[in-house]
Amino acid sequence: MDVNRKERQILCVLARSVRAVVEDAGLDFGQVQEIRMRIAKPLIVVYNNEERILPPIQRDREGGHIVTREEMRETLEYVSHYSLYAYEQEIRQGFITIEGGHRVGVIGKAILERDRVKNLQYISSVNIRVAHEVAGCADKVIPYITKDRQVCHTLIISPPCCGKTTLIRDLIRQVSNGNTYVKGCSVGVVDERSELGGCYLGVPQNELGMRTDILDGCPKAQGMIMLIRSMAPKVIAVDEIGSPEDIYALEYAMQCGCTLIASVHGRDMEEISEKPVLSDLVRKKRFERYVVLENRNHPGEIRAVFDQRGSLLCCGL
Amino acid sequence: MLRFIGGILIITATTGAGILYGMELQEYLEKLLYIRHIIYMIKGELEYSSAPLSEVFGRISARVREPYRQWLGAMEKQVENREEDAFLKIWMRSVDKYLKELHLKSEHSIQLKELGTYLGQTDGASESRNLQLYLGRLELEIEKVREGMASKKRIGNCLGVMGGIFLVVLLI
Repeated sequence: MDVNRKERQILCVLARSVRAVVEDAGLDFGQVQEIRMRIAKPLIVVYNNEERILPPIQRDREGGHIVTREEMRETLEYVSHYSLYAYEQEIRQGFITIEGGHRVGVIGKAILERDRVKNLQYISSVNIRVAHEVAGCADKVIPYITKDRQVCHTLIISPPCCGKTTLIRDLIRQVSNGNTYVKGCSVGVVDERSELGGCYLGVPQNELGMRTDILDGCPKAQGMIMLIRSMAPKVIAVDEIGSPEDIYALEYAMQCGCTLIASVHGRDMEEISEKPVLSDLVRKKRFERYVVLENRNHPGEIRAVFDQRGSLLCCGL
Repeated sequence: MLRFIGGILIITATTGAGILYGMELQEYLEKLLYIRHIIYMIKGELEYSSAPLSEVFGRISARVREPYRQWLGAMEKQVENREEDAFLKIWMRSVDKYLKELHLKSEHSIQLKELGTYLGQTDGASESRNLQLYLGRLELEIEKVREGMASKKRIGNCLGVMGGIFLVVLLI
């Protein structure tokens, strides 16, 4: 994604005074990973894997720019396009995806209804996570997850902020377009949080390949079944699986002849093997490849690739 | 002969003025009815698609007549470009600028502007309730205008004719 476009997409959701502070800092938006706003706390930017406290415009004050309640309200107005009701579901889950696929995490006071979070009010913290589209970041891993120019059932295991969404996005693009290792085929993407395609008014903002169909904003479990019935994809890709419904739908899709590319939060194979529902799939050897990511020096480092028996295929790519 | 023709002209003119007054009353009622129609469309779009306001305004603007089309189209752009720090400012400014030519009575204009206070601020169910509340108030206003209209029209017509005759008598 063009850095200037990314900069525009991020700046336009910030309150004007915060925008001025960020602009004044002269950041390269290709390196910005997160912008964290907390009421009555300094404005923090995670830049090139390091935290930076941004100074106020008037340099006479010590410390960083302190975020006010009014700035928080204004930012939320911009993030939601003045339409909080339209993002009710997302807010309930704790984040809103904005144009470009950037994720805005929100935290405040939860309103409960029958022990379930109905909504959030008094939003006190916002974390803008900048989406990075790194074309070619899956180049190293693709030879290990393909067989006879067909992609294998693959599970990407990664802790947060290690680049799993970026990797899965590039995998989708390569499988859809095809290359030396994989024959191009139809890919169905269930983009529950609009992170993979970054759809805006129904148009994907990220390049996901020419044979990709995106089901945007749909719960994964329901979406996978809808995709199979409507588009008959060869490959289905989903991000951040976790609930029992997701796992059930995943297994159903596998039994329907679709190849699955999925990602899950976790540190390593052992942790995944202990997860209550997912461990069943590991035991049944449903996934043929496991790609484990880490963020030792930079996001997207491939720590290891395992096959269905748990044998190491490669490490430290 | 000239006096007779002059008298006829005066009576025709005052009768015409009375009829025009009645037509204006009818037009004003139609304006309120059209605003009600637009708010119903906004409510329907919000309930059905839960789309952001910019999309809702964009879709509806294509289906309504001027000046409402321009009003909604301008709001769509302003919301899309995030031109103000609060939606209320966009709504108020647009009502003032694009619906000025409707010459709404101040109470109707204030009620319409007040609607902007609630739009986009709450969850879907509350948005729907707020719009329904406004529609309820608008319905009452429409009823008031409609009730008074028949008698006002009759009075306008009668006064037109009678005023003309009175003038003619005075002048002769």
